[in-house]
Amino acid sequence: MSAPSASHPAGQVNVWAVVARTFLLALLVCLGIVVLYPLIWMALNGFKDNSQIFGDPFALPAGWSWANYVQAWNQGVRNYVTVSLIVTVASGICTVLISAWTAFGLTRSRMPMKPIVVGFVLGGLMLSPTVALIPLVKMLQSMGLYNTYWALIILYTAFRVPFTTFLIRAYMLDLPRDLDEAATMDGASEGQVFWRIILPLCRPIIISCVILHVLFAWNEYLFAMIFTSGADLQTLPVGLTSIMARHGTNYAVVFAAMTISALPIVVIFFAAQRYFIRGLAEGIGK
Amino acid sequence: MADLTLRDVRKSYGGMEILHGIDLDIASGEFVVFVGPSGCGKSTLLRCIAGLEDITSGEMHIASERMNEVSPSRRGIAMVFQSYALYPHMSVYDNMAFSLKIAGEKKVEIDRRVRQAAERLQLTAYLDRVPKALSGGQRQRVAIGRAIVRNPKVFLFDEPLSNLDAALRVATRIEIAKLKESMPGTTMIYVTHDQVEAMTLADRIVVLKDGKVEQIGTPIELYRRPANLFVAQFIGSPAMNILPATCEANGEGMLVRHAAGGAVHMAMTPPTGPAGGEICLGVRPEDLFVAAGTDGLFEGRVDLVEQLGEVQLVYLDIGRGAPLIAKLPGNQEVARGSHLRLDVRPGHLHLFSKEGHSIARRETS
Ligand SMILES: Nc1ncnc2c1ncn2[C@@H]1O[C@H](COP(=O)(O)OP(=O)(O)OP(=O)(O)O)[C@@H](O)[C@H]1O
Ligand SMILES: [Mg+2]
Repeated sequence: MSAPSASHPAGQVNVWAVVARTFLLALLVCLGIVVLYPLIWMALNGFKDNSQIFGDPFALPAGWSWANYVQAWNQGVRNYVTVSLIVTVASGICTVLISAWTAFGLTRSRMPMKPIVVGFVLGGLMLSPTVALIPLVKMLQSMGLYNTYWALIILYTAFRVPFTTFLIRAYMLDLPRDLDEAATMDGASEGQVFWRIILPLCRPIIISCVILHVLFAWNEYLFAMIFTSGADLQTLPVGLTSIMARHGTNYAVVFAAMTISALPIVVIFFAAQRYFIRGLAEGIGK
Repeated sequence: MADLTLRDVRKSYGGMEILHGIDLDIASGEFVVFVGPSGCGKSTLLRCIAGLEDITSGEMHIASERMNEVSPSRRGIAMVFQSYALYPHMSVYDNMAFSLKIAGEKKVEIDRRVRQAAERLQLTAYLDRVPKALSGGQRQRVAIGRAIVRNPKVFLFDEPLSNLDAALRVATRIEIAKLKESMPGTTMIYVTHDQVEAMTLADRIVVLKDGKVEQIGTPIELYRRPANLFVAQFIGSPAMNILPATCEANGEGMLVRHAAGGAVHMAMTPPTGPAGGEICLGVRPEDLFVAAGTDGLFEGRVDLVEQLGEVQLVYLDIGRGAPLIAKLPGNQEVARGSHLRLDVRPGHLHLFSKEGHSIARRETS
């Protein structure tokens, strides 16, 4: 009824705000399309056959037949998924626990020459996997771990601990010391302080670290290719290349295999992305 | 038999000595308050008692048992932190139950003690909440509850009220006084820089300065007979007026003449010492009153009047140094700029040597 006539300046501001919002929204939608479209396209092509893929690459599939997916699954992908799962889960647990415990020591204990120890641990970030490759092959061969799950689990853990420690340490530095002291007064040992107080409070960053580790371990190619040789020990990235070699001409099956291998990551990321962003922002910010 | 004793306790960080030999005897069941200016080492001393910091040298005993090497949880001490330090991921119940769970108590027993403490602190309705969902005062009570479920022999508080607003601070202060009354066997040590808290709660006050004990005594002792200039000015608000003065023998006693000219006869023998007749004269603002007629130890022009209702603070320019502050009844007519004579009973005067030590005298009034 009594719409204020003096709303002219406010109206103008509103117009600009709407324009800016629309622009931002459009930009985000475009970005989303750029990221998602290739994935969707790949999944869709898994439902086609070769002639459809080449004849009309951007059309929807003619029918929704799971045949290609079933074939890919049965011809090795099941095996690769199992290996990748074992390696990723085992190395993920090892990495996060070792890193959290290290970060706890680096932030909470009184040790001599702590800066040097911190530098030493974080210095691992500088080590390039490629450079270490040949000594590692020799070492693992002489230890009898070559071509076992352990080779990948140990290597993934070793190479990810510095970075994960770095993230968790930054987060722990921000947790108030009073909490440790209160728990100490309450009778908790250092181990109990870690398990019952500090680790639960680090949940956001731990979740971020788990996701980062899964992304790494699931997609890692170099070590997986070099340290495993048997088909029963190949992880997904390595397995996919061998599928490509075998089914070189049957692209539909290759697309189906790729879709299966990407699926877990996508699901995990979407399920946990809220924590993921928060953990990283809290740990590094402030 | 003192329950908690400190003997020549020193604490250094790196090469810096923070506590310079603290000697203290605290009887079991006593409420002792540490006061002192910021940075004097109150928290450090408290943390040494708690065991959160190692003592560099000296000894600490609780019930004649040496405590230097005993871990914090074995000392029978509970501490309430200034920040409360509640575990943010645990409910109020779990916060209070934590120490009992660690100690391996039975579930039934834990439940009984937590509920009892919650009852006492009116926290029963909040047991399922996390600390974030509580008000400041409630968090404070949880912090206290977490300490009392352990049945500690010694209770430490590090400025527990400093995060609360004024009204809540008064209410919680009274709560703490009641808590003390209900736990007669428990020794309490309380750090604050709020004088009112110190005066109202303490059985005895320990005044610290730069890592040394300046004086230990009941609140009224510190107020009436401060051992030195520092304590004299630290206890009481507004602070005691201090003026340079001289004294000389005069018949039965001595004559004290302060820098602004006034003189008073006191029934005591003049101090002897290198400084001879040079001393400091201390007068509490509340001991001053408007003089009748033309006598009065001090006279000057009224510089400023702060009317607080019940009392007024009168700043008197006596021609020398800082103005003399007098606390006069609020209903007395005092105009700014007017000339005023103030007097004080000789028995209420405090005398200090040049070095700042109190000069003993006979109580007269
Ligand atoms: N970990 C430490 N390392 C070095 N010096 C410290 C350390 N902790 C405290 N100090 C120093 O010890 C002195 C006393 O500190 P403390 O915290 O005991 O003071 P306080 O009396 O509690 O002061 P406030 O009333 O401000 O809390 C300060 O000068 C402080 O700088
Ligand atoms: Mg302090």
